[in-house]
Amino acid sequence: MTVAMESVTTNYLLGEQEVCNSWAAYINANDMTAEEAIGFVRKSISTSGIMAHILFAEDGGLNGLSTAARASKPGDYSVSYGNVTALNIDFGEVLAESVTVNVTRAYTNPVNAIQSIAFCCPIALKDDQTAILLRIVPVSAFQKKWFFPTEEYKTAGISLIDIAGDYIVQGYSFKNSNFYEFYQSYNSPTPDALKDLKSSMANAPGVFELNNSMGQRCMIAHTRVNSTDDWILVSMIPVAVLDRTVISWTLVGIITAGLLLLLVFNLINLMSFNRQLKEAAASADRANHAKTDFLSTMSHDIRTPMNAIIGLTAIASKNVDDQAAVRDSLRKINLASNHLLTLINDILDISKVESGKLNLNPVTFSIVECAENLVNIAQPMVKEKDIDFNFRINRFDHEYLYGDQLRLNQIYINILSNAVKYTGPGGQVCVDMREEPGETDKSVRLVYIVADTGMGMTPEFMARMYQPFSRQIDSRVNTVQGTGLGLAITKQMIDLMHGTIDCQSEVGKGTTFTVTLEIPIADRKDEETAPLSIRVLLADDDEILLETTKATLQSIGAEADIAHNGFEAVNMVSSRDDYDAIILDCKMPDMDGIEATRQIRSKVGKDVPILLVSAYDWSDLEETAKEAGVNGLISKPLFRSTLYNKLREIMGIGNDRAKQEDETADISGMRILVAEDNDVNWEIISMLLQMQGVETERAENGQLAVERVAGAAKGAFNLVFMDIQMPVMNGIEATKAIRALPDPWASHIPIIAMTADAFSENVAECLAAGMNGHIAKPVDMKLVLKEIKRIKEETKS
Amino acid sequence: MKNRRWKLALGAAVLALVLSVTACGDKEEKTVQKSSTGFVPKLDTQTACSLTVVGHYSNFEALEAEFNSFAKYYPNVQLKYIYMDGYSKASSGILSTALASTEAPDIFFTYPWMSDWPDGAAIAAASENLSDPALGIDLSCIRPNLLTKDSAGNILSVPIYTTTYGMLVNEDLFAKEGVAVPQTYAQLLDACEAFKKAGYANPIMGYNKGSDLLYPLFYPYFCAQVQGNETALKEMNELKPEAGQYMRSALELAHDFMSHGYINLDNCNELKDNYEAVILRFFEGDVPMMLASGNTVSGTEKREAKSQPFTSHPFKYSFHPVPSTETGGYFINAVSIGFGVNKSSKNLAMANEFMRFLISANELNTMAKAKRMVTPCIDMSLDSVYAPFRRLSAQQFINTLELGLSDAAASQVNKAGWQVSNGLLTVDEAVAAYGSIQ
Repeated sequence: MTVAMESVTTNYLLGEQEVCNSWAAYINANDMTAEEAIGFVRKSISTSGIMAHILFAEDGGLNGLSTAARASKPGDYSVSYGNVTALNIDFGEVLAESVTVNVTRAYTNPVNAIQSIAFCCPIALKDDQTAILLRIVPVSAFQKKWFFPTEEYKTAGISLIDIAGDYIVQGYSFKNSNFYEFYQSYNSPTPDALKDLKSSMANAPGVFELNNSMGQRCMIAHTRVNSTDDWILVSMIPVAVLDRTVISWTLVGIITAGLLLLLVFNLINLMSFNRQLKEAAASADRANHAKTDFLSTMSHDIRTPMNAIIGLTAIASKNVDDQAAVRDSLRKINLASNHLLTLINDILDISKVESGKLNLNPVTFSIVECAENLVNIAQPMVKEKDIDFNFRINRFDHEYLYGDQLRLNQIYINILSNAVKYTGPGGQVCVDMREEPGETDKSVRLVYIVADTGMGMTPEFMARMYQPFSRQIDSRVNTVQGTGLGLAITKQMIDLMHGTIDCQSEVGKGTTFTVTLEIPIADRKDEETAPLSIRVLLADDDEILLETTKATLQSIGAEADIAHNGFEAVNMVSSRDDYDAIILDCKMPDMDGIEATRQIRSKVGKDVPILLVSAYDWSDLEETAKEAGVNGLISKPLFRSTLYNKLREIMGIGNDRAKQEDETADISGMRILVAEDNDVNWEIISMLLQMQGVETERAENGQLAVERVAGAAKGAFNLVFMDIQMPVMNGIEATKAIRALPDPWASHIPIIAMTADAFSENVAECLAAGMNGHIAKPVDMKLVLKEIKRIKEETKS
Repeated sequence: MKNRRWKLALGAAVLALVLSVTACGDKEEKTVQKSSTGFVPKLDTQTACSLTVVGHYSNFEALEAEFNSFAKYYPNVQLKYIYMDGYSKASSGILSTALASTEAPDIFFTYPWMSDWPDGAAIAAASENLSDPALGIDLSCIRPNLLTKDSAGNILSVPIYTTTYGMLVNEDLFAKEGVAVPQTYAQLLDACEAFKKAGYANPIMGYNKGSDLLYPLFYPYFCAQVQGNETALKEMNELKPEAGQYMRSALELAHDFMSHGYINLDNCNELKDNYEAVILRFFEGDVPMMLASGNTVSGTEKREAKSQPFTSHPFKYSFHPVPSTETGGYFINAVSIGFGVNKSSKNLAMANEFMRFLISANELNTMAKAKRMVTPCIDMSLDSVYAPFRRLSAQQFINTLELGLSDAAASQVNKAGWQVSNGLLTVDEAVAAYGSIQ
């Protein structure tokens, strides 16, 4: 029983010490003042009766602060241990030693005068102040943790003493304030006998007899408390009680039944535990298989485009004189390279997701540009597969939002590219994007719905489609390239943005994904627009698009009449001649936009500007459309700002922004410094830029780049492309050095990162270092040109 | 969740087992022993509660013996004595803090000078009126001059022990050297001289920290000088500098005794405290006389066994008044400790019942004998070690409460005596500095 109590005591002491240590660890990690530390502990205490003191080392631990005010002086949180002579905290020992349990003897807590014990832990406060943190537990609370069969052994008692015999916890049948005094008072031992007793109790468990204060002969059992340096557990029971010869068979029966009950519980619990273990093992096995399958798939998926690239490169080399064959090989190499890049990006993303390192880097961005970007990306795929593509938007009141644009794009592109990828030729993909009121007036709810008429998904696959490494096993799917990671990444990113994703799908009929995200509104305001007091005819077979575009036109001050097809449009133009502009959808049944243009032109001549709207890549249509009399082309979706600018452009109102863009698009003659240590990369970028008429100069590392800029005449370079990982000095340090140059021109030269460090954190790091933009390797030349144009425009303005 | 249900079920099973086990204990016959002391319980003797007594004694076996006696009437009342750090220090405020805490004591030590403490008023306000007839506490067994009343005429504290001052005498050494235990001041000097000549390094010793050392010699003498002199007492209590004259003769006595060189100050300074260190030094057996208080004497019996020299060579010893005149010495009787009751005690009725049990000549004398202290009862049943005091006449008994000297004045006298004894002040300087001696 005494040994069992030792175990209970040890567990309790370790638990209390652990709490004290965790407080101390938090304080040590946060560089707190004493007031902050005591405030933190005060908030952390959840058990009534517990308090804590911080005693400062500088005056030997005599003074400090308390979490509780003095019982007799409310509001006074100071504490003094000057009168606690019996405590004897060895300040040096507590600070220097790391023992399992560092607890005091029982003493009178000076704050509430309650007998208590204190668990100690050294702490380091602000300004190198050292102190001891005491977690103070009333002895009465400690005593309640003990269970002792007092009914069966009513006269039994148990105490906890320290090595000197002073009671930590004093059982009622134990007298005096010191166990050895108690022994001495009622047993008159010789000094040597007392010394031997102390020695034996301090060293090992044992039993002996003594007379108690009532003169009864008692059995004492004692054992060291393992978790402490010097505590001994002592139990005492009258010998007469132990000499009972009557056996309580009822008691024996109940204990046996109880033990059997416990045994049954134990067995059931073990069985349950085993079952859980099996399930866990099976789950781990499944995960292992999934990873093996994934690696196998990856191996296949990586080798396939690599095989194409290597093979086609060999073919091109052998047919170097046949331009058509080389062009065809290069086009296919380009396709395979892009696929390989997507694959690598997905693998890297899922690796970040799995390691919990996916972070958001919010920036101010234009949702209009985001949508336009989506359309641009989707158009080539849509065109290739001959898919009916509709991109509808509702009126967007807030163009500029504050969010992680890169991740948002990634989410939208993943879902849209899946829809296009898994929809066969002749199918339909509809994107519906709208802004709804947010939870607060400082945010909006972006709803993005992508519906396709593709192959759809089985309910079984839908249940696990967001898990990494999962792809639907389907002969149709296996013909489509994919990593099985896109949806998993998308879901993780949506979760990270606290958004939702919903999916409705039916095999053979199609799939609809709905993504809802709450995005803060950016401080940047939409550009003010002067109202366009014009009358416009709008023709489209899509009823929803008609409604949304009409609302958009009204928001910019235009009146809009609606025609549901080409014939109706022609008739309406015939019946009234006051339209200031006509907007025709390119793809309408019976009579398309180009034919309608021809007929309108035959009736009204060339005066009324006509704008042709297309959801597709209209580069192939442009020539035909212009021949038919179209003044301008515009892509769906029709955003307010885009539509406003285009109408102004074709009507010749104000500055022609499009023309301005064309003018600024000329980058020929610009001089760019390229900081790049890799010869191949330098060769690629310099060649690509030279093809655009851009002059380039190379710096082989960051240090040289800084020197070139510092030594260059004003205007010698228009821009710097900066690699990040370079010898001698990396791109981040080089940028900082350039920004610190004394020459205002040099220190303000535009710098664009051009690096394989493509994660959003890397982008943020570049911008924080003072760069003006970021282009990921391998470089997309369209992006490079766009960035150069942007810089040129900004420099002009 | 599932796992949690299992744990709950298992916990319930263990609890059921534990409850079953504890419910199966044999019923023990509960009998109340008949009183052998005339005490008749007023409350239900099956009342179950616990009471705590707090104070500055590190051990209090005498009180614990009373707990055992009380348990014969109230077997389910658990009484416990708790030592409290800083209890006897006026500046600690620990008692008033304890009385305001969630684990407030039921009974607590009191001292006559407690009313002068910063929190004296708070302690008084928290104290039960023990003279309330409704409590039935019979205070008639206490010497009346030891009982103090507050301004409302209430008695908030009952003395438990009183003390006196004197010297422990090693009777075996006196017998060995053929020296008679001194009864007069001249004999005291002669005895010291005799031991000195016999080679004893310390014919007489005493604790020399603070204001002790010759206190047992000159303070009783001083009290005898001013006893009944109302003018002197009034001026001394007002700490008037001119009142220093009233202590001149006592200081001259101290100076005279020191001038003979029988006290080795260096050896006295080695005594670390005036309790255990003094006792164990005396038990080494080579000091014929050790100046001490009754409080020190109370620890002698238990420390006999702690002393290796004493257990090896035990000797007979006794406690004597220190002779300061040609007629002998004095018995200064002062309250050492009293008991007060927390009137907000959760078990107030039982706390008062215990006091009713304890405040009787039988129990208080038993306690006094057990601790070798002087009883506060009219029937002074002194322990044998105090036997020499029985020889004093009634005129040589001085009660400090009756004397009427304030604590501040008494403190000035003690400090003056100690500084003169240690050669820090001359008698004239000490007399002139009365009222401002640090």
